[in-house]
Amino acid sequence: MSLRREIESLEKEANELIKNADSIESLSSIKVKFLGKKGKLKSILKSLGKLSPEERKEIGQLANKVKEEIENLLRKKEQFFREKAIQEELKKDRVDITLPPSWIEVGSAHPVVSTLVEISQLFISMGFSVAEGPEVEKEEYNFDMLNIPKDHPARDMQDTFFLNNGMVLRTHTSPVQIRTMLKQKPPIAVIAPGRVYRKDADPTHSPMFHQIEGLLVDENITFRDLKGTLKIFLEGIFGKDIGIRFRPSYFPFTEPSAEVDISCTVCGGTGCRVCKDTGWLEILGCGMVDPNVFEAVGIDPEKYTGFAFGLGIERIAMLKYKINDIRLLFENDMRFNHQFKGIR
Amino acid sequence: MKVPYSWIKEFVNIDAPVEEVVKKLNETGIEAVSYTFGKKIENTTIVKILSVKKHPEKDRLFLCEVTDGVRKYQVITAAHNVFKGAKVALAKEGAKIGEIVIKPVKFGSFVSEGMFLSLEEMGVVEKAEGVFIFPEEVKEGEDPNRLLGLGEEQIIEIEITPNRGDALSVRGLSREIAAIFGLKRKEKLPVVSIAQEEVPEIKFLTDKVYRYRGIVIKGVSIKPSPFDIQLKLIKSGQNPINNVVDVTNYILLQEGQPLHAFDLDKIEGDISIRLAKKGEKITTLDGEEKELTPEDIVISDDRKAVAIAGIIGGENTKVDQNTKNILLEAAVFDHISVRKTSKRLSISTESSYRFERGVDIENLPNAQDKAVELIQKTAGGKAVGEKDIYPHPYTPKKIKLREKTTIRILGFEVKKEQAKELLNRLEIPTEVVEEGTVSEIPAFRAFDLEREIDLVEEVGRLSGLNQVSETYPKIPTQSFRKSDEFLFELRTRDFFRDNGFDETVSYTFVDEDIYTILQIPVPSIKITNYLLKTQSIIRDNLVVSLLKTLQHNLRFQNKNLKIFEISSAFFDSYEEIRLGILATGSFIEGFSYTKGDKTFSTEEKWDFLKIKGVIFSYLRSLGMQDVELKEINLPYLNPYQSAEIMIDNQSVGYFGKLHPEKAAKLKIPKDTYVGELKLRYVSRELEENPLDKEGYLFNLYKKKENPVFKELPKFPSVKRDLAFEVDESLQVDKLLKTIKNSSKYVDEVRLFDVYHMGNSKKSVAVSVDFRAEDRSLSDDEVNSIVEEVVKKLQKQFKGLKLRT
Repeated sequence: MSLRREIESLEKEANELIKNADSIESLSSIKVKFLGKKGKLKSILKSLGKLSPEERKEIGQLANKVKEEIENLLRKKEQFFREKAIQEELKKDRVDITLPPSWIEVGSAHPVVSTLVEISQLFISMGFSVAEGPEVEKEEYNFDMLNIPKDHPARDMQDTFFLNNGMVLRTHTSPVQIRTMLKQKPPIAVIAPGRVYRKDADPTHSPMFHQIEGLLVDENITFRDLKGTLKIFLEGIFGKDIGIRFRPSYFPFTEPSAEVDISCTVCGGTGCRVCKDTGWLEILGCGMVDPNVFEAVGIDPEKYTGFAFGLGIERIAMLKYKINDIRLLFENDMRFNHQFKGIR
Repeated sequence: MKVPYSWIKEFVNIDAPVEEVVKKLNETGIEAVSYTFGKKIENTTIVKILSVKKHPEKDRLFLCEVTDGVRKYQVITAAHNVFKGAKVALAKEGAKIGEIVIKPVKFGSFVSEGMFLSLEEMGVVEKAEGVFIFPEEVKEGEDPNRLLGLGEEQIIEIEITPNRGDALSVRGLSREIAAIFGLKRKEKLPVVSIAQEEVPEIKFLTDKVYRYRGIVIKGVSIKPSPFDIQLKLIKSGQNPINNVVDVTNYILLQEGQPLHAFDLDKIEGDISIRLAKKGEKITTLDGEEKELTPEDIVISDDRKAVAIAGIIGGENTKVDQNTKNILLEAAVFDHISVRKTSKRLSISTESSYRFERGVDIENLPNAQDKAVELIQKTAGGKAVGEKDIYPHPYTPKKIKLREKTTIRILGFEVKKEQAKELLNRLEIPTEVVEEGTVSEIPAFRAFDLEREIDLVEEVGRLSGLNQVSETYPKIPTQSFRKSDEFLFELRTRDFFRDNGFDETVSYTFVDEDIYTILQIPVPSIKITNYLLKTQSIIRDNLVVSLLKTLQHNLRFQNKNLKIFEISSAFFDSYEEIRLGILATGSFIEGFSYTKGDKTFSTEEKWDFLKIKGVIFSYLRSLGMQDVELKEINLPYLNPYQSAEIMIDNQSVGYFGKLHPEKAAKLKIPKDTYVGELKLRYVSRELEENPLDKEGYLFNLYKKKENPVFKELPKFPSVKRDLAFEVDESLQVDKLLKTIKNSSKYVDEVRLFDVYHMGNSKKSVAVSVDFRAEDRSLSDDEVNSIVEEVVKKLQKQFKGLKLRT
């Protein structure tokens, strides 16, 4: 057999062995067998001296080429085994990605607080500041200075909780108007979100609920400005398509006064159980600050005018989330609260 | 108030559909709805009862023979008020009442050929006792639907705001409707002549009565009212009683003037209007005895009180079947007194309701004369004496309405001629002057229209506040202040929510019981007129509410709870906005997992350090650096697992594990942790500045200075692990802080092991980074620094040893 033939069959043999090798270890024995110091290729090359220079050159080149080829195959196969090993190693730590996550689950927001915050932020972005007052309030601020004298039937509009310290649980956020105007001279642009209390409990009334009061006092503020401001607010909360209706009404601390209805968000105005077939939902009360209120706090009603409004938050939250019983809001049954994850 | 539309039409020529009237009333300030009176029932007829016998076989049933004028029917009824000669409505075969179709039915061995109708079946009232007895003048064979106006008559129901007492009558509402529609109101004036033969003696012993007119009518005969009067009362939601009483009610509804008829023969001596004596008693028409006080006005004869003025009459002078002579009272009493008495005695009547809202003092004789006319017509008798005491006759107030005021308030112009026209429509005499108009306020609006602004409202509402277009005000930015308090709470809320706590909102009023269980004093502020005793205490902390919430949720097997509330706690002279938290069970419910020799659980349970972690993380998020814990002794917390939170030597809150005894009493899990942080002070006094108060997170947060950037270190640090043997009682934090401050080269100290060795000793192992600002420290240098640190520590902590 010529050397050439020998080399060629050696290459074939090595190819075959590498192809069938099943581990990194078998690869190294193949390497030793063919390319080692005592390997087959070496021993062939040892007999190179017997050849003519031309043949030596030719066979030498061939032997080198075969050597490189075998080395290359070995490297590739080795790489294959390494990758396979890594894959197997990784596979051992395979995680069922569908297992429950192991991190704190975000808490739920309360729908009323959420609504309160949303509305407050809307007014803040319009340029109103947040004002506040206590919930245990003086009768004077809750009623008298708001032009609701003692023994006036207007006090019947708000069933009051009386306290053993001679004060009341505020029946509305309107006393914050008084507190603000006693401390601050016009111009004034505030909102007052907070808890209020009335002696009333049924599926649509809670003895505790939340209101946001708004007050804007400056020169040249008119009823039409009030309409504009409330339009921005109501469209911001209920969307551009909401219908808005102003009905003249009566509140002792505003004059003229109005109640504001929005088109029923349930039926769209065609009439349903929620709107008692009227197509409208009463949403807030408002009006121009009564001169008696200005006088009570020492603001000149001939110089300044202003508007005020007050809205119940629960009503809006209940419409927004289609909640049918106000009492659910304050039971803190987590089966209820957990439905409100992911709202702001 | 319910008013038949047909009654309104007696006072104003209006033919607009009732829906239109209701719509316009709503648009101009009176809440109104309309509905159809009753339900029309086919196959009914008026019958006369010819005989009534007890059913021979069935208890409680009666056998009646009736006729409709054409044929006889046999009807079996359970109604007790049937009698021979009564005229009633009979539903015959085929009549439909709700879902039931009438057909002959056997009761025992007798057949009933129909059913007598009550006002309930006719859809007039929700619950009726007995069948409806028609007056004698009704003829058998007539159609009850037509007689009653069932399914035809339109009823307007209005609800007035407290300022509109003037609209609380057919006449007043007609005036309003006439004004809205620009129509003329009409009125048929009474024609009566009162002989002055027996003038009643009337004295005022109090100034709380403004007018009193008494008329003596003699020779009346008491019987049921004519059908048209009865019908109007029924349609207005009232029960007919007898002709005299019905007339007083009728006139009250029509004119808004309360009237009262006394049985003259039961009055002993003269009439006086006086204040009640302390402890004086009167039995009122409803049969209840009431005790009076000197703030109540009474009508009195020489011996006794005969009525509580403006509210209700007395039993002792009641008009009954035998009454022959009456004293008819029309009066106006002080509205505040009437209201006080009505409130105190919890009696609200049609009369008191109107007095509280203002009665037209000038219309009094007109209304009363109409009553006299009607009584004479329906009960006979003759008015034989009248006395009218009216010490201070009404003088109209003049109010000017300036054009410029209208535009200043409403934002649109109402020209003075237009204002005059609108006010005249409301029957307010108004003249144009240079600046605007001047009106003379009639008595019927005296309670409501006192100032210029009140007239602005009148012209505004009649012009249509809904129609006018909106404008957008300039919000005065110079008064804007950053709403830091609001944003601070928002931030707190976001932190706890993002960290897994559920937001709760609970009632401010709580039960006394929880305080007893927790062994803390019951707060002093209480609701005196509470709805429920369990909701009568105004809470002074949020934990009581959070514990209640836990109890509530345990009922639904929810054992893992992490909740918070941001709300007020109440004290004698101020309020605090607090954050309350409660955590129990696991904060990650998790699951356990095993594969080969690897086992782990993802469950995480709450413990003291985890709660501390949440609170400290929150405080850190606010930039609070030096937070320290101090031991605290609260009766409801485990004394060894609770702490007071101190910042700048101010106590800002506390947290800890619930005391196991209290947990057991509350039937809640032992591993329940609660805490509160005082966020803000809310003052009740205007002069107080909440920012001056100590111990509130918001105030500390406001005062906090911004971090100042320091150059990053240029040289590396050297880390050494050191273990110290110390007394078991030494607080680790104290040791860590001392190490930190023991040398300028100590850069950072981290705890990595605490080991209780017994013998009241423990080993505390820390990893310390040493660093110099200007060079790399050599091993030798670090060794000597450590030596120096240990020496300092040994000086401060007796018995401290460095373990090697």
